[in-house]
Amino acid sequence: MIKEPRRHQAELLVIGSGLAGMAASLFALARGVSVAQVGNSGVIAFTTGYLDLLGHDERGFVDDPWQALIRLREDEPRHPLANVTENDIRAAFTSFTQSLTEMGLGYTAPGAHNVLALTPAGTLKPTLSLPLTMQPAIAAMAAGLDTLIVDFTGLNGFSAREVVANLSQRWPGLRAARIGFPDMDSGAEVYAEVLARALEVPATRQLLAERIGPLLGSAQALGLPAILGVHRPDHVHRELQSLLGVPVFEIPTMPPAVPGVRLRELFETRLPQCGVALEPQHRVKRLELHTQGVTAHLEDAYGEVTIEAAAAVLATGRFTSGGLRADPNAIRETLVNLAVSQPEGRAHWYRPDYFDPRGHAINRSGVMVDEQWRPLDATGKPAHPRLFAAGSLLAHQDWIRQRCGAGVAIATAYKAVDAATQAARSG
Amino acid sequence: MNTASPIATHTIDFKAAARDLLPPGASYDACLSCGLCSAGCPASGLEGMDPRRFIRMAMLGMNEELSTTPWIWTCTQCQRCKYVCPMSIDVAVLVGLARGAWPTEKKPSGIVRSCEAQLRFPGTSAMGLQEEDFVETVEETVASVRGQGDRFARLEAPIDRQGAHFFVNQNSREPATEPEEMGPLWKIFDYVGADWTYSSTGWAAENFCMFTGDDQAWRKMVEQRVAAVNRLGCKVWLNTECGHSFYTVWKGVERFGLKADFEPASLVSYYARWIREGRLPVNAEWNTQGIKFTVQDPCQLVRKSLGDTMADDIRYVARMLVGEENFIDMAPSRSANYCCGGGGGFLQAGMKEQRWAYGKRKFDQITSTQADYVLTPCHNCHSQIEDLARHFHGGYRVVHFWTLICLSLGMLGEHERKYLGPDLARLGLGA
Amino acid sequence: MSARPTSPGPVFETEVLIIGGGTTGTGVMRDLALRGIHCLLIDQRDLNAGASGGNHGLLHSGGRYAAGDADTAAECRREGDILKAVAPECIDACGGLFVAVEGDDPEFAARFPEHCRSAGIECSAITPAEARELEPCLSEKVYAAYKVPDATIDPFRITLENVNHARQLTQSIFLAHTELERFIVEEGTIRSAICRDTRSGDTLTIRARQVVNAAGAWAMQVARLAGCSGVQLLYSKGTLIISNARIGRRVINRLRPPGDGDILVPGGTVSLLGTTSQTVENLDDIHPSVAEVDRLVAEGCALVPQIAHTRFIRAFSGVRPLLMARGAETDGRKASRGFSLFDHESEGLANFATVAGGKLTTFRLMAEKTGDLVARRLGNSEPCKTATTPLPSGDAIRWTEPGFAARYWAARREPGDLILCECEMVPTSAIDAIVENAPGAELQMSLNAIAVRSRVGKGTCQGAFCSLRVTSHLYDRQVYDSPLGLRNTRDFVAQRFKGVAPVAWGEHLPQLELAEALHCALLGLDQLTDDGLQSPTTGGRVP
Repeated sequence: MIKEPRRHQAELLVIGSGLAGMAASLFALARGVSVAQVGNSGVIAFTTGYLDLLGHDERGFVDDPWQALIRLREDEPRHPLANVTENDIRAAFTSFTQSLTEMGLGYTAPGAHNVLALTPAGTLKPTLSLPLTMQPAIAAMAAGLDTLIVDFTGLNGFSAREVVANLSQRWPGLRAARIGFPDMDSGAEVYAEVLARALEVPATRQLLAERIGPLLGSAQALGLPAILGVHRPDHVHRELQSLLGVPVFEIPTMPPAVPGVRLRELFETRLPQCGVALEPQHRVKRLELHTQGVTAHLEDAYGEVTIEAAAAVLATGRFTSGGLRADPNAIRETLVNLAVSQPEGRAHWYRPDYFDPRGHAINRSGVMVDEQWRPLDATGKPAHPRLFAAGSLLAHQDWIRQRCGAGVAIATAYKAVDAATQAARSG
Repeated sequence: MNTASPIATHTIDFKAAARDLLPPGASYDACLSCGLCSAGCPASGLEGMDPRRFIRMAMLGMNEELSTTPWIWTCTQCQRCKYVCPMSIDVAVLVGLARGAWPTEKKPSGIVRSCEAQLRFPGTSAMGLQEEDFVETVEETVASVRGQGDRFARLEAPIDRQGAHFFVNQNSREPATEPEEMGPLWKIFDYVGADWTYSSTGWAAENFCMFTGDDQAWRKMVEQRVAAVNRLGCKVWLNTECGHSFYTVWKGVERFGLKADFEPASLVSYYARWIREGRLPVNAEWNTQGIKFTVQDPCQLVRKSLGDTMADDIRYVARMLVGEENFIDMAPSRSANYCCGGGGGFLQAGMKEQRWAYGKRKFDQITSTQADYVLTPCHNCHSQIEDLARHFHGGYRVVHFWTLICLSLGMLGEHERKYLGPDLARLGLGA
Repeated sequence: MSARPTSPGPVFETEVLIIGGGTTGTGVMRDLALRGIHCLLIDQRDLNAGASGGNHGLLHSGGRYAAGDADTAAECRREGDILKAVAPECIDACGGLFVAVEGDDPEFAARFPEHCRSAGIECSAITPAEARELEPCLSEKVYAAYKVPDATIDPFRITLENVNHARQLTQSIFLAHTELERFIVEEGTIRSAICRDTRSGDTLTIRARQVVNAAGAWAMQVARLAGCSGVQLLYSKGTLIISNARIGRRVINRLRPPGDGDILVPGGTVSLLGTTSQTVENLDDIHPSVAEVDRLVAEGCALVPQIAHTRFIRAFSGVRPLLMARGAETDGRKASRGFSLFDHESEGLANFATVAGGKLTTFRLMAEKTGDLVARRLGNSEPCKTATTPLPSGDAIRWTEPGFAARYWAARREPGDLILCECEMVPTSAIDAIVENAPGAELQMSLNAIAVRSRVGKGTCQGAFCSLRVTSHLYDRQVYDSPLGLRNTRDFVAQRFKGVAPVAWGEHLPQLELAEALHCALLGLDQLTDDGLQSPTTGGRVP
């Protein structure tokens, strides 16, 4: 069978489609760089939607992440965020949240302080920027508004009663109610993603509002699991607020959750419209590095695809995303076999106590980079002058415990793209 | 579990099969049990099953349950689960295996009969249309189209023309039930001066044999079609507006290691190419009423075959035809699109309630675009989406690309408007 | 039950207090209940919290002991046959193979059938090719193979059934998280036991006519609280690992003197590879190590090569309480697998008995001997009935069998019965039955307690997702209305982690990474404090 060879060409190849990869493509577009992007979106699908910069350090919750970053530069000089200036971080974060907002997924602008956002367990998560659909919770909680939290029959893993039970000491005006979702109230399992898509139909919003309205009573605000649409959440949110006449906010749910689907679909839709040659949900199988740039080989459903670029940013993520792989006694980087900073042997990967506040050593393993964000090989030298790295793949950070996942992704993507652009255009 | 049940003799070891059929990094063993597959699958909940549960039951060794669940006939094997899976785990391939293991008499008879019909005559038509009937219908229809006016006087629909560049297939629905719908397609070929031919053998576009899960039947079907193309020495096997027939051929050629001397291509790619090259100068000037259109990406063409390149071509053609401002995309779309529920033989499986439940998500998607028409280059999508409109009282219609192309070029005949609404019934026909 | 002001806390009265909620203690409970005797069973933690929950669930044919300990071997064979008859629902009579691979001592292998014969164990030689046909996972280097009637037993199910049956027969009671603090002894008789509810911290008093010490590895401590020093135990820690899916059909034993990683036991839907043996000094903080896991995998590969690429989802450890005769072996592997019943009369106590040593397969016999002694002391002449009376099953106690919940759900076709644990397909109705009526059910039942009575947390995700869904359900049911439920969730996942970390590599590491992201980054369980308030003091800010 004859198949035409399929090739893309771009100045910059972004490998990875998580938060760092997506941010990298956006930053490159903003610089007028042509981009090809490949990658499985991996753990982006598990996000709350909150974009945290630095939510936690050894003193506990971080109120002012900018102050905490100053301390971080002292205490953890190898931390990726310690190697980006405050100005760059601000610029990157602002640019990223603005881009999301312009693309139709509204986010609050990063401020001077973290805010405490809600989780499905009724605990609080410090974060710097959050979706507009979730933002009203902050003010409602601060004002202690009488608030109704509604959950849905069949929506497994989200309990309004749980939210209330865990939050009511801090927020006494909370009340829980359960309803059936319009046309999906047989009692069988329903998925947040399905409810969210159904709410994009105006008639369904109307029916939902009719079911919730009578329950509001004295409530001055309404909390719902994150189901307010997938591709037009701000619109759905506004519409529902105007139908109900009270502020409405979303609470993230446990995976499989809508906020991650929103991000994935937003990027998958918008980036190609902006000119990115995106190969969604595929992985680069082999990356050739040569003097003039890189050649990536991948396979989609139909067969081989080749991408040529003058430089590449590697943002393949950690273990769940496939950027790192743990063999029984060593951690390796999966695409280029870069050097990986790691503990000596598996016995040192984890501490005995799961919740040890110091975190687990394995989470700080990862790829090391030079000051140009070029990943190092086993000899400690940059693996290639045109290869750069960004995101959670990087060593010396613990995004899970430090609540700095988005911060690391966005800030390092910003720097890596900066450096990669220079390299790509250096001829 | 009753081991004396007739199906028990066909029980598959799903765990072992998954180990053999799936790549190491995407084995069932790699499943995180996160449920993204199920959340994104329109067949979730039907027959008490969903993709995650399928994987879990395989891992738990529940082979009899999996070998007997009718869910496999509601899964359209659209591979959206694989697409959204962080580990790229494929459920569809084992669904195909499970289908194959059902005793033939227990399989949905509509799918089985369609496959049997395809195997009966060399034309490979699922509607049982024999080669002489096809040839005759084409000849009669050509005569009728020529009668539409001077500009079509020399229009041809060649059959078995040795050495033609394009080997064109045809969904049986047209020659069997609505031959006038072939007219617009031929007019387009005529307009661009394409060097093409039908074949009297292997001309049909549908392939229900793949949906029966019977690999041998699938293989036989593809072999016949490949032989037909090879026989005529065509360079390009041009798949008309049909989804699964494209997938079954190229995938079949690879899967069964067949020798094929041609390039498979989708007609939509050629629409896009001819428009870009100026050979098919369509425009949206006809759409003065601002009629809104959306497109349905056939899973078999996009996600399962050519990916977003195909989706881009579909959109390019659609936008050129209806006008940028009149095109509204569904969300999600392209490679992430939902199957409409017409795929996998679902339309022929006789499970109407399940098919409507499956299609509700597509119906909601379409409804929220507020489009008046759905354009789709796939006959199964076409039928299912039309049926969804009937069932859920939707206000949209479903239309082929060839209809709009001819409409745009002012060459759509009066009797070629079956799928157009009153708003377009007379457009361009004069008083 | 009545409170007496002279005794600390509430007072429970019973005929027999049994200490230790393992298979032996619950076996004694049922044995006595079948004789019409009321018992009260306590455990400092929960059912099967010790060795009864920390083993591979192998119902030995006796083959493994045939060479070294003919008496134990014969005992295993007899007891195995009895259990297959009275508790078939707890047993998978899958059969077993003993296979020798290149490098194993041929003489040892050659003598195996003879040893089996003398212990009365059915044993048939098969060719290596036949063995590989029966179990395709076996190494090509197998040179000798024998079939034996090994089987597996669900140790959780049997324990729950014991307690359930005793509850039905004489309204006997089980109290979890009840720790013995001291005995009140008067005139050579234990009058009462002063205990502490470790969850609430409250004290309670238990008055009993007879006291049975079936505390397993803790039996020595319990005996000492009664002033008895005759019970001497050797603690042998054993570690096992669990695969994500079942590997072989039968029990596969390596035909050599017992060593690390030489038994692969199917456990319904999974397989367990064991066991290591390491003498330990104390019973605190027993958990599997990376080194033990590596040793198991390395040894297991020789028998079943695919072990090298198998996804393991958990490791766990148990402590075998082995009887130490004076001056006897200190090597756990060679110490006796036999058991002893101490009547403590020579130590001046008339109503105290300790049953120690032994093994899962022989628990019924241990209970019978103990029951005979206790009944005689109570003047009860009813004979032991456990060898012939089948165990009754029940709604609340059938959820520990791997794969049962999934088959139940699939057959029942009740879409409204939401599945809370997707990996093991445990539906809401199972959790409800357990919370309402399982042995040890109580208000505000913890996730750990639910997990002991079900497959929750035991599948691929090891509790990452199901813990959250079950917790939400418990809040929905109003089992919890405070942060306690969430703290129990935190404790549960922390507990699961100890077993996951040593096998976290390859396919399983992403699962653990995702779990930590969920539990910490998403839910902040690492920040929960025990006073129920989350630590951030910052007020909510309006961005």
